[in-house]
Formats: sequence, structure tokens, C-alpha cells
Amino acid sequence: MTEVLQTVTKKAILLGNEAIARGIVEAGCLVATAYPGTPSSEILPAVAKYADEMNSPMAVEWGVNEKVAFETAMGASFAGARSCAVMKQVGLNVAADPFMSVASYEMNGALLLVVADDPGPHSSQTEQDSRYFAMFAKIPCFDPASAAEAKEMVFDAFALSERFKIMTMLRPTVRVDHCRQDVELGELQKQPGTVRFEKDASRWVSLPAKVRINHPKLNKKIADIREAFETEFGKYNYEVPPKKEGVLGIVASGVSFSLVTDILKGMGREDVGILKIGTPQPLPVKMVASFMEKYPKVLFLEETYPVMEMQMPDRTKILGRWNGVVPSAGELLPEVIAEIVSKVLGPGAPEAPETEMLKSAIQELGITPRKPMLCPGCPHRASFFAIRQAIPNAINPSDIGCYSLGVNQKGLDTVVAMGASVTVSSGLSLVSRITDDKRPIVATIGDSTFFHMGLLGLVNAVYNKHPLVLAVLDNSITAMTGGQANPAVGTKLRKGDEGRVVDIEQACRGCGVSHVVTLNAYDVAAGKAAVKEAWEYAKEHEEPAVIIFRYPCMLLRHEQAKIRVMVDQEKCVGCKFCINFFNCPGLVFNDAANKAVIDDRFCVSCGVCRSVCPHGAIVEASGEGR
Amino acid sequence: MQYIIVGIGGQGILFSSKVLGKIAIDRGLSVAGSEVHGMAQRGGSVISHFKIGEYKSPLVQVGEADILVAFDQNEAVRNLQYLRKGGTLVVNVHDEKAFENASLRSYIEARGIDVRSLKGYDLLKKHMGGNFLFLNVLLLGAMSGAGIGDFSYDEVAKAVKDLSPSKFEEDNMKVLELGREATHKK
Ligand SMILES: Cc1ncc(C[n+]2csc(CCOP(=O)(O)OP(=O)(O)O)c2C)c(N)n1
Repeated sequence: MTEVLQTVTKKAILLGNEAIARGIVEAGCLVATAYPGTPSSEILPAVAKYADEMNSPMAVEWGVNEKVAFETAMGASFAGARSCAVMKQVGLNVAADPFMSVASYEMNGALLLVVADDPGPHSSQTEQDSRYFAMFAKIPCFDPASAAEAKEMVFDAFALSERFKIMTMLRPTVRVDHCRQDVELGELQKQPGTVRFEKDASRWVSLPAKVRINHPKLNKKIADIREAFETEFGKYNYEVPPKKEGVLGIVASGVSFSLVTDILKGMGREDVGILKIGTPQPLPVKMVASFMEKYPKVLFLEETYPVMEMQMPDRTKILGRWNGVVPSAGELLPEVIAEIVSKVLGPGAPEAPETEMLKSAIQELGITPRKPMLCPGCPHRASFFAIRQAIPNAINPSDIGCYSLGVNQKGLDTVVAMGASVTVSSGLSLVSRITDDKRPIVATIGDSTFFHMGLLGLVNAVYNKHPLVLAVLDNSITAMTGGQANPAVGTKLRKGDEGRVVDIEQACRGCGVSHVVTLNAYDVAAGKAAVKEAWEYAKEHEEPAVIIFRYPCMLLRHEQAKIRVMVDQEKCVGCKFCINFFNCPGLVFNDAANKAVIDDRFCVSCGVCRSVCPHGAIVEASGEGR
Repeated sequence: MQYIIVGIGGQGILFSSKVLGKIAIDRGLSVAGSEVHGMAQRGGSVISHFKIGEYKSPLVQVGEADILVAFDQNEAVRNLQYLRKGGTLVVNVHDEKAFENASLRSYIEARGIDVRSLKGYDLLKKHMGGNFLFLNVLLLGAMSGAGIGDFSYDEVAKAVKDLSPSKFEEDNMKVLELGREATHKK
């Protein structure tokens, strides 16, 4: 029986992101691009994997940032190719310019934007809802409730794009991206139409006169799509009627639908009806209104902003964000939804009396959630230590990546958005020009972030003569998001596809930086000296100086010398300097003994911490002893 | 059956749900689960949800998990509320004293939680040269070896074998067996 099931339907357990990738390849997409970002990062590598397996002719590429990735897919779609760009929600902020402009174009090939949101947030700087961006640009958006649905929606999003000649959006949230579910697999389809760029300035050149024609057309398209969503998309928009007389209606989209369905089942409630919406923008308003008529009150569950709620002209009956029934920040976790639902339905369930016991246990044992930390052996830790010790009074703007965790070592002072390390430094250097705050400025940035947006800030600093030091923490990978390639790495995604390394040092020199030094990040002494020297140079010549701290990321699992270390308990004075400024999972503080010790559950014997202790207490271990 | 798997980023907890998923799909069962990727993976607290059967959502509600598999005892305690009454905790212990805490003991008793602990770090130090990346397989061995969950030891062994890169296959089988032998009732 199992065997038959498997050969007939060909099921596999896929990560939501793999399901989306599978959909992209099966749908005959010809060009797929992305810039990594949690929770979207696994999509593009999976696209490449399936494309290889299924012999698709498609091109699959990382762009250096989201604007670049988006415009690459967009260009291909102008030629008639089914194209797709993938990014995380804040990536769309970077790609917003072309995204807004191309929304009103009369498209040729399909253009699908997959943008992953992160309610919570788990791994992001914002909790923004990309469906608002779809509304802002007046394009349609699909909001999947499961991995299987996300895959199915990819086909419809491509088809809708071709039918209405408009860009479309698929907006999964983290729980769809990172769910693991059984999904049906299909075959490779051929994309419809011919692929060839036809010159037509009236179509591909956007000038104000053109916009005055296109904007009313766009309004008509989105009105027609709303009508299509009312009637044709029953597989995504449907009612789950209650078995008994309904006391509450729930309009739910995305994973909130899946959660509330399981919760109601668990509660044994048969008097609550649900309207599931998979196309929240433009919302099929008539469908929602007629559902609402059947219930005395209606709860809206959606992440993260009230996109559906706000489209309803009459909200008096709605229990949602406008009246504070649903929280306006944070993820709608099962516990949160269960609490909202039971409150709405009557007095909430009392907390189990034992809960207090567990709370006390956690408190008495001093257990707190573990904060993310740089991995044991991470070269960034050594770099931050060197930078901070070289010039302790420096201001240290930083950037986005694993190295943002340098905050644990007091190694950085600001983190905002990719590339902002250099530009914030520029702003601070201007302040030092007009005030008597002359503190040195030493910024940090990762290799991927350098190419994403840092390079432009550096050109700006050269042009405007800003004295600052930029330390590029080059671990030869985009680590934070799971280890993707970037121009500093030079590899590409599809089998047999070769890229080229863009050398960071040469790039800096090409921008006009005259002081560029590359060193081994594990060499703390060299790092310290280089930082001091670079700042002196920058100050004297009134220009940015660059140091490249190079050492491969631990995730690459390369072979390296093992240097077993121990803390000499005689010499350790319990000052916690190593804990505060080196902050390694493998080096912990024993409160009872008031001494630092090696935690061999985590220590990887990189040996770097030997150069950390001011009292020389961290030394190489001889024999078996620690 | 609903599982929660907790640990610290970098301990390799994702492999465990992959193994369970493989067994379920081979049996033709539906599964849904949720994983942690990104920032938290860097040494922070991580949690995987895993459900087998007819569920729509990938998340386990507090108080409904049948089994909590913990790679770290602190994470076990922090997430104990996920277990239903009478649920089972499989936990890697590095400091047994914590389990003597009175509040913790009374919670475990009040909820009728079955605790199966093993000293994973000691075992791996002794038998695997201190390679703690084998914790995931060790815990799978402990769980299936003790007859917890609805998978037999043999099924788990087959799935681990299928999913192991060939150079780790032999070691993985050895560790699985270590886990099976180690689980004792606490
Ligand atoms: C605009 C934007 N796109 C993507 C991300 C996701 N993201 C976070 S860190 C990072 C890259 C970090 O790579 P790198 O600079 O090489 O530093 P590493 O993590 O390797 O230390 C990315 C892509 C983001 N935060 N913002």
C-alpha cells in the first residue's frame, strides 16, 4: 500500500522553501535570481538542485544584492522568459525602486517575486508585512498556509502574471518557509510563448507621460484581479463551515489558518466557521462581506499587519488589530491564537496550577534562553578582539551578518541595515570635523555585505575624504544565512556553471583607497598593529583606510591545527576580561571557583584565546589535562 | 504523535527531525514540522516541532507534545511546558544535580512526566573521542531503544543509515547502539 501511494503521487518531505523551489523549476521558470536572507535563503540553492536533477535549461544566480537580483529577473521577463526573484522582506526595501516602477508595466514574460516575511522576528531587523508592499505597488499577492499550497501557488502566480501582464508576489512567512511537510512532486513543464527581446520603447522606457497612461491601466488590472479572486480561486479562498450554529467567524490567511484549524479541533469547538484566504491582496471583499453576514462577530487572523482587515469598508463587527483584540506586534504563535480565541469565545481557560512550579524551577536554576553567539573558532571573534584592544576609545559602527554578534564582545556600537557601517562612519566623521569629538572610527563589515552595499559607501567616503577605518571581515562566505557564495567566493549554483572571484583588495584600490592591508584574522597581534596603523594613515591623509581580516568560516569545516588550551587556575584572577571581550562558548566562567574554565563541550581548540588573557592564564594544554 | 526537539544551535538537531520524517514518509504517513534557521542557529536556543498524522499546522501547542527530546538539559527545563501530561522527556544531562531541584521534581511528578536521561557528553568522550556532533544519533538511539515514540529501533537504524553520508555510516550505527544501551529510567 505504501509503495503504491509513493509511486502514484511521488511524495517527498520538503522544507517549505524546497517546495517553493520545486514549484519554480516545475513551472518551467527560465531565470531565477536571489540574494540570501532568512527565511528565504534555502529557496535558490534548491532551485539549482532541482534544475540539475530535472535537466531544466534555466539560469540560476545569486545577485550581489536584492535590487540587482530583482532587476536581473525583470530584464529576463522583458524578453518573455518566465522569471523569478527571491528575497527576504527587508530585501524588498533594497529592491523597492525597480519594484515600484515595473508594477505598472505591461509585462511580457511572467515576473514572480517571492518575498519571505519573518513575524517574530526570528532573524530580521523588522517585522514588516510585504503584502503591504504589494498593495503599495498595486500588484496581486498570494499568501500560502502550507508548503504544499506554496508550491501550488507558484504555478498560479506565474499564470496570473502572464494573463494580466503584471508582476505577482508570493509571500510565505517563516513558518511556511521552514516547515517540513509532505509535498507532491510533479514533472518539468515547458514555459509558454517565445523568448526574445523585442525593441519597443513605448513599452520598456518609463517616462512620466507613459506613467500617466499606465497607472489607470494598472488600476483596471487590479480591479479585474480582485474580481478573479472572488470567483476563480476557490482552492485558496474557501469557507470551512461550522457543524453547529456559528457563534464566531474567523477570517484567516497564511499559517494562522493552519494553526487555528488545529486549535479549534483540539478545543472540540464545532460552532466556529472559518473563511480561509490565500489571496489577501487584492482581497475578495464581497466574499469576506458575505461570510461576515453569517456571524455575530468575526475575528481576523493574519500576519503581521492588518492587510485584509483594512480592506473591509465596514469594520464594526471585526475583532482584529484596529480594536486591539489581536496584538499588533510579534508572531501569532499557537499559544497566542489559542488565548485570543478562548477570550473571544468566553472566559479563557485557567492556567494549569503546575505552571508556577516550572516557572520557579527555571528561576531557581537560573536558566535563561541562550543568546546567539559567534561559533567557537569563529575568526570574527579574533578580529573584534584585536580591533577593540587596538583602539579602546574608538567608535565602532558595524553591519549585518554573523559579525553583528560582535556586540557580545562590546566590539560594535551601531547596526542598522546592510552597508550602513561605512555610511554611519561617514556621518560620524563629519561630526568629528565640526566638533571637538575626535575619537577614531573603526567600522566592521562582512564580505557579502561589502559587495551588497558597502562598496558604494566606500566610494562615497573616498570622494568626500572621510577619515575612517573599514575592517572587512572576510570569512569567504555569506555565513549568517547559511553559507552562500558571493563575489568574494566566485562559485555559482548550477552544476558546471563557473563564476569569477572579485578581489576585495583590488576593488578597494579601484575605488581609490590607497591604504589596504590583508591579514590573517587569527593573528591577534598583527590585527592590533594594523588597526592602529590604518587609523594613523586615515587621519593623516583624510581618507578611508581598509584592513581585510581574512580567515575561512567555521561552517566551511576546513582542516586546521588543533591547539588544546587550558586556563591555568593559579594564574586566573577571575577578572572576566576574557568573558567580556572574547566571549567564546568554549570559555566559560565558573562562579563557584571565581575562575574561567574551558568548556570542552564547545571548545574547538583553535588556540586564539591564548592571546587574550592579560595575566597569561590561558595556555596550551599539555597531555590530557585541562 | 507530536515531538518537540530542543537544543543549542550547532548541535545538529535538524538531523533528528529528518530521520523521523524519513520513517514517517516511508510508512506513508503525513508529517508537518517546523525548524529554526538563521540567526538563532548560531549557538542560541533552538527548537524543532514535528508532528505525525493529520495535522494542518507545523507547530506543536504548549501542553500537547508527546515527546520532548532535549540535546541540552537547560533547554529541556525551559521547554518542559510543551509536554502533555504523561509525556516523555529524553534528555542529555551534563549536570545531574539540577534534577534534584524541588520545584522541578514536583512539576515532573504533577504532570506524570517520564524522564529518560543519558550522559551524552561522557559517553561520546569515552567512545567517540569527544566528537559531540554525534549527539543527535545518540539521542535517537536512546529514544527508539527505550521504545519511546512509535518507531522501532530497527526503523530508526535504517533511516539513519539511509541519511548518513557513507563516511559516517559506521560511526553512526555504533553511536545509535550506544544510545540504545544508555537509556535508563530516572
Ligand atoms: C537587505 C538585507 N538583505 C539580506 C539580509 C540577510 N542577511 C543578514 S546577514 C547577511 C549576510 C552576511 O554575510 P557577510 O557580510 O559575508 O557576513 P557573515 O555572516 O559571513 O559574517 C544577509 C544576507 C538582510 N539582513 N538585509
